[in-house]
Amino acid sequence: MTAPPATGMSLALPRAGALTEALLTPDADAVGAEDVAALRDRLAGDLVALVEELPTGERLRLDGYRFDMAREHPERCRAVEGPFTPSPLVCRRAIGLNAMARCVRGWSPTPAAAVAEVLAAGVEDVADGGDPSSTRPPWWAGWYRSLPAGGRAMVEAEAVTWATQVWTALEWDRFAPAPIVGGGDDWWDCPGTRRLTLRGRADVRVRGDGPPALLVVGSGLPPSDWRSALGFPALVSALARGGSSAPCRVVGLWPASGQVRILPVDAAALSETAGAVVAAVATWVDGRLEAQGLPVT
Amino acid sequence: MPRSSSTADAVRPPEGAVLLERLRGQGRARPAVDPGLAGGLRDWLEDGLAGVTDDLAVDGGSVRVTKEALTGVLMCEAHLVARRSSPRNVTLELVRGSLVDALFRQWVTTGRLDDPWSDALGAVRVDGDSDIIGFLDAMTPDSRGDLAREVAEHAGGVVARWPVPSPSWLPRTQERLVVPLVGGRVVLSGVVDLAFGGPAGERASVCVVEIKSGRRRIEHRGDLHFYALLETLRSGAPPFRIATYYTRTGELDVEAVTDDVLVGALQRVLAGTGRLCRLAAGSEPARTANGLCAWCTALPGCEPGQERAGTDVPRQAGDATTDDDFSLLVETETGGAGGTEGDDRP
Repeated sequence: MTAPPATGMSLALPRAGALTEALLTPDADAVGAEDVAALRDRLAGDLVALVEELPTGERLRLDGYRFDMAREHPERCRAVEGPFTPSPLVCRRAIGLNAMARCVRGWSPTPAAAVAEVLAAGVEDVADGGDPSSTRPPWWAGWYRSLPAGGRAMVEAEAVTWATQVWTALEWDRFAPAPIVGGGDDWWDCPGTRRLTLRGRADVRVRGDGPPALLVVGSGLPPSDWRSALGFPALVSALARGGSSAPCRVVGLWPASGQVRILPVDAAALSETAGAVVAAVATWVDGRLEAQGLPVT
Repeated sequence: MPRSSSTADAVRPPEGAVLLERLRGQGRARPAVDPGLAGGLRDWLEDGLAGVTDDLAVDGGSVRVTKEALTGVLMCEAHLVARRSSPRNVTLELVRGSLVDALFRQWVTTGRLDDPWSDALGAVRVDGDSDIIGFLDAMTPDSRGDLAREVAEHAGGVVARWPVPSPSWLPRTQERLVVPLVGGRVVLSGVVDLAFGGPAGERASVCVVEIKSGRRRIEHRGDLHFYALLETLRSGAPPFRIATYYTRTGELDVEAVTDDVLVGALQRVLAGTGRLCRLAAGSEPARTANGLCAWCTALPGCEPGQERAGTDVPRQAGDATTDDDFSLLVETETGGAGGTEGDDRP
């Protein structure tokens, strides 16, 4: 096993060429189906024992956000989670990915035009809410529709900025077939319990002859434990889709800082991430127990 | 004496195609990018900051270097410390700036401003800056009316003079820039009001614009140079143009980004970051008399400040809002809209 590089990318300009190359270059040591099966069994055994300690009636959905919180701010896992509140920052990814998908398909010439179209379609879907033949509106659309013009403009502006940063980070015409932008999240229900689900998410999934490569877009700076942050969507994808579909690498892009990290996904990287998942679930279980004043075992 | 027509043309604010021409530098070749420049600047910063963070607490987080922190710490360390330990000073000028920034953002994104006051309120409420919202909610109807008229004037100027940028220029508003140094112990950060142009290849291609609703000040050039440095470090190529646009008057200051600009910004960052790190490590702040002493909450215990201000009683915001120093005080207020990073959920 060789240690993955901190960055493995040329800094030559334009950087989009090097980032695209990083997503197109296959890694030699793809993860085998038997490796994933063994990891699934081991992980399920560890996790089932942990989540059974959750307070009665509680279940845990571990997504990238909660995975990061457990590692970066474990004290916050003790707090009672408030209701979800949409905001321009929170919505920018969902709207921006839809917009980028339009650009990739050639339906929109620019991210700005695409964002405007996505927002207009979202409002239309909400307006057609009673019509069973219409598309189900995206989760942000009802909230967006309720905003005054100035609020809507901030949502649009934030999404345009995000989408433009990601759109200009890659040379899209080099991908064949076209990559999947956004797409569905990966869900893995832990076997042996109904109380734990892992949810993984990638922003772009690049398909080729071999296993896919994932692009994950982050905010601000890469976390110090960036390997686990990038390993998480790869692990959930491997668990949910089966070993032969496990990604071969995950490329992390943090546009605000121009930082890129590349994680070659091999059996060791998945195993390391699985260990971090067990630790994160333990942190959440302890946090939920403490929040209810129950003893931590 | 009546002004001659040529003089009048010279001082008339640029608008429409003229404004864009100045921003895009049409007729001039975009400068070639030196591929080693960004790496060289980063190495210079890393060398210059080596040892500066040694005294910081191991788990004390990062020292965040913003344009406000730089200006503040280079002006007077004690004043910066006093301001940071005081509640955020939300002034009419700060609120006006937030409202005008939002309207400008709306204009360049959507090309529509139907009702500036209502649009601006909608924008700040969805962005959730509770201090700004609280200030607005507490205003009397008369003062709200005055502010609404003022904001409408700024918006009218923007609509009259600013063409909506073509989507093909890839305009981005409130673009966040973050540059980690010294293994993340120091983080340079900023939020650019407007950037356009795609990523650079062989030639520089990005233009950065800062929006100011207050009066024109020489200090604004330092802010712009700081952003030029951040963009260079982040993207690997400097912007080809940096500009400040004043919404009250329509003035536009445009500057090409040269090596001298970047080196000057770098030296300012080194000087300011050294001071910020010393303060973060617990050093006693140095006192430097300056134009802000009259408003400083530390004035009662500051001899140099009292000599400068001629009193030991700090002035309150609003005592003299037309004072030139006061406008700088407003701009060095830390915190506020923008600059935060959010996680995308659900």
